[in-house]
Amino acid sequence: MANVRGCNLPDDLYYLIEKHVWAKPMGGGVIRVGITAVAAKLTGGKLAAITVKAKNIGQEVLQGKSLATVESSKFVGPVPTPVTGVLLRANEKLAADPNLAVSDPYGEGWVAELQASDWDGQKGTLATGAEGVAAYQAKLEADNISCS
Amino acid sequence: MADDKVMIIMTSGPDTPRRCATPFFFASLAIAMENEVTMFFTIDGTLLLKKGMAETIYPKAGGKPVSGFLKDAMDAGVTFLACTASMELHDLKAEDLIDGVKMVGGATMWQVAEDCKTVLTF
Repeated sequence: MANVRGCNLPDDLYYLIEKHVWAKPMGGGVIRVGITAVAAKLTGGKLAAITVKAKNIGQEVLQGKSLATVESSKFVGPVPTPVTGVLLRANEKLAADPNLAVSDPYGEGWVAELQASDWDGQKGTLATGAEGVAAYQAKLEADNISCS
Repeated sequence: MADDKVMIIMTSGPDTPRRCATPFFFASLAIAMENEVTMFFTIDGTLLLKKGMAETIYPKAGGKPVSGFLKDAMDAGVTFLACTASMELHDLKAEDLIDGVKMVGGATMWQVAEDCKTVLTF
C-alpha cells in the first residue's frame, strides 16, 4: 500500500497510468478492473453513475478502449480497460451506489471483470510494484495532481 | 448506416439556459462510449457558438457555465457543425464563431443524419 501525493496506490495492482485504471488478476485468467483513487479525484468527487456498456458483455474489448463511463454533475469520461479481454460482468453494486468507486476504488468499488485475451503478453505494458507506483508518482507530479 | 455514429441537433439557445448543458454532456458521454459524435447547431443553438456567448449562460445559478460543457465536448472530439442559414438568421459571420466549428448547409445535416444510428434533438 503506497500513499502518493495523498492518493492511495496499492503496489500489488497493475496500472494503465495514462488512463487512471487498474487491473488485478483474480485467477483463471479473470482480471478485475477499476478506476484509481486519482481518477476518483479527477471526477470531482460525487458520482452520478458508472455504467458498463451492456452490449459489450460477452464481447472482446481492446486495451485502452472504453468499457464503462463515469458521470458526475460536472464531468463525464470513459473507463478504458487496462487489458484486452472478453467482458464478463459489471459490478452490480455500482448501479446502486456509484460512489463506491470513490470511497473504496480497489475493493467494493471495482468496475468490471474480464477474461483476459493475453494477460501474459500485456501485463508488461502496465505499471506495477514499487517501480510502477514510482512511475505513477512521476505522472502525478508532472500533471500537478494530488488527492488531498 | 454506421453503428457507432450519433448526431445531436441543437436548436436551444441563450433564451433557455437549462436546455443548454445536457446536449453537450450527452455528446461527451457518447464519445466516452466509443461513438463518433456530431453536433449540428441550428435555429438558436448557433448562438451558443458565438464568441463569448457560452461563458455568460448558466444552466444552474452558481454552477458551471455552458462554455465548460461545450469545451469538454470539443476536447473529447465531438465534431461541431453550424448551419449557415441560422447564422444568417442571427446576422453572424464566420469570424463571430469560436474556433473549431465548421459551417455547413442544411443538406449536410441530412447526410450526417442518414449515416447515424441515433439522432437526438434538443
